[in-house]
Amino acid sequence: MSFLRVEDMHINLGEFSLKGVSIELGRGEYHTIMGPTGAGKTILLECIIGFYRPKKGRVFLDGRDITDDPPEKRRIGIVYQDYALLPHKDVFSNIEYGLKKIDRDKQSRRKKILEMAEALNISHILHRKPPTLSGGEQQRTALARALVVEPRLLLMDEPLSALDPQTRQTTRSLLRKLMHDSDVTVLHITHDMDDVWALADRVAIMRNGQLEQHDTMQCVFNRPNSRFIADFVGATIYDGTILPGCNGRCNVDIQGLQLSTIDHAKEGEQVRVALRPENVMVFQDRPEKTSIQNLVQATLEDYYKEGVLYHLTFRSGEVCIPAVVTSSAFQELNLKRKSTSFLGVKAANVKLA
Amino acid sequence: MRKIGPFKAGLLFSSFLITGLLICAIGALFMVPTFEDVMANVWNEEMRLSLKLSLVTGFISTFLVMAFALPIGFTLSRLDFWGKGIVKTILDLPVAFPELVLGLCLLLLFGKTPIGKALSAIGLDFVFTQKGVVAAQFFTALPYSVRIMKSTFDYINPRMEFVSRSLGYTQFETFIRVSLPLAGNGILASTVIAFARCIGTFGTVLILAGGSYMRTETLPITLYLNISYGNMGMALTSGIMLVAVSFIAIFIFEKTEAKL
Repeated sequence: MSFLRVEDMHINLGEFSLKGVSIELGRGEYHTIMGPTGAGKTILLECIIGFYRPKKGRVFLDGRDITDDPPEKRRIGIVYQDYALLPHKDVFSNIEYGLKKIDRDKQSRRKKILEMAEALNISHILHRKPPTLSGGEQQRTALARALVVEPRLLLMDEPLSALDPQTRQTTRSLLRKLMHDSDVTVLHITHDMDDVWALADRVAIMRNGQLEQHDTMQCVFNRPNSRFIADFVGATIYDGTILPGCNGRCNVDIQGLQLSTIDHAKEGEQVRVALRPENVMVFQDRPEKTSIQNLVQATLEDYYKEGVLYHLTFRSGEVCIPAVVTSSAFQELNLKRKSTSFLGVKAANVKLA
Repeated sequence: MRKIGPFKAGLLFSSFLITGLLICAIGALFMVPTFEDVMANVWNEEMRLSLKLSLVTGFISTFLVMAFALPIGFTLSRLDFWGKGIVKTILDLPVAFPELVLGLCLLLLFGKTPIGKALSAIGLDFVFTQKGVVAAQFFTALPYSVRIMKSTFDYINPRMEFVSRSLGYTQFETFIRVSLPLAGNGILASTVIAFARCIGTFGTVLILAGGSYMRTETLPITLYLNISYGNMGMALTSGIMLVAVSFIAIFIFEKTEAKL
């Protein structure tokens, strides 16, 4: 049974709207939501927590309809991108704020706050006011404030996006440990693929107030169900036709390029084929003995560098194939524009979306 | 030294010209009468009564203004409701109204309409009474305070209130524990502006409360009555008293604002 169930939620707040969003989360699961700016992700969280009342649709938490409950009765925590710490209270008082409502014993509150501060490594800043804290410290304070009251569900709206890359990495590890140790159910909005890879059990993609795809990470990343999602998660989608005579595997024709896949479809069926650039291997010469079913000769059309990776675009006939290699591999393979290489894709990595 | 261009020179000239004229005008108020004249007039019975009435009505009106400006400012900033635009425009109207017209409207409301008669029946008589001074000051100052309070709440991140509610606090508790403390400077500014407006209200008080000698005579009315009689000493002293009261209010505001 799902722990959180949102049914057919509609709301219109001028610039932002939800048009029939339904989503289910299991107890203790970690879900991420991705989508372009203005897709309605934050409004979805704010409807779930009860800040906005949906025009239509219901929210169920742990089997109970909470649509008409005020936010203070729902026991759902939220962490915002800008942390929304109370500037007139110090870190200790910020964490204590919600605890005061549920625990009247001052000593017991103090104990819980110190334990939480220890877990989040903020014991040394408990006396400081939020404006004097770094982004990472504010983020951990906001997280402590939300977690110390033991919410049934934790909503996070881009909690890591305002941090520098190093702090983001550290906080992501901390978040993974914390969530692993507790059984809190999490719904986390992010624009960062690394958050999804590191934290999520499942991912949902939103666009224009609707959920476009909601599935396991592997499924959404490897089998995006539309070009929009493919672009969004960095995959490439092709239109193809299943060829006759499969012999246990399927062959699919993409504008003259034939690829083998272990997925199955009926002969002659029009299908969508998804490839991820990191699943495309690049060889200088044709490998002699290999288990790779799909070997394609292709010309390097274009490339660009991002961090330590090179993003490559090859062309084979009419078809463009993306690949990604490290800087050292780029040098070793002696890749240049218009140079010819062999591309290998395992049949298991050719996905029918 | 960098050369000042004609545009910058023009900007500075206009700023200094008006500042200079204002300093001269205020200075004249203090320079023209002698110190002995002012001291003699301050202890005059009419002046003492006028100052007392101004301060008492000013404090009562400011309290009432703030009691309404806080919830109205919060409503206009945070709630969405049908007709919000119209409500906002009507609340702003007295700012653009001449005070005399506002006074006339209030005179008609409290004198000629069933609302005025009903209020009068329960002892709230506003026409040509000291209660009328408070009513006149209240309606004149309210829109300024509402505007300041609305902008103050607009500047407070509503997510702080959202988080407070997610942590178990009702909307009212959140208003008391989060919105009000964060609005501290705005409340102070709004109170000072309201007090200054209340003390200085002339036209509305004159029409609604009558501006009668030694009865509904606030400092601006004293200034007006005495200048009409040709009693310059009293008129100038009431002007000095008004400036002094405003100055003290602004001074307290500056000192307190730094601490908040």
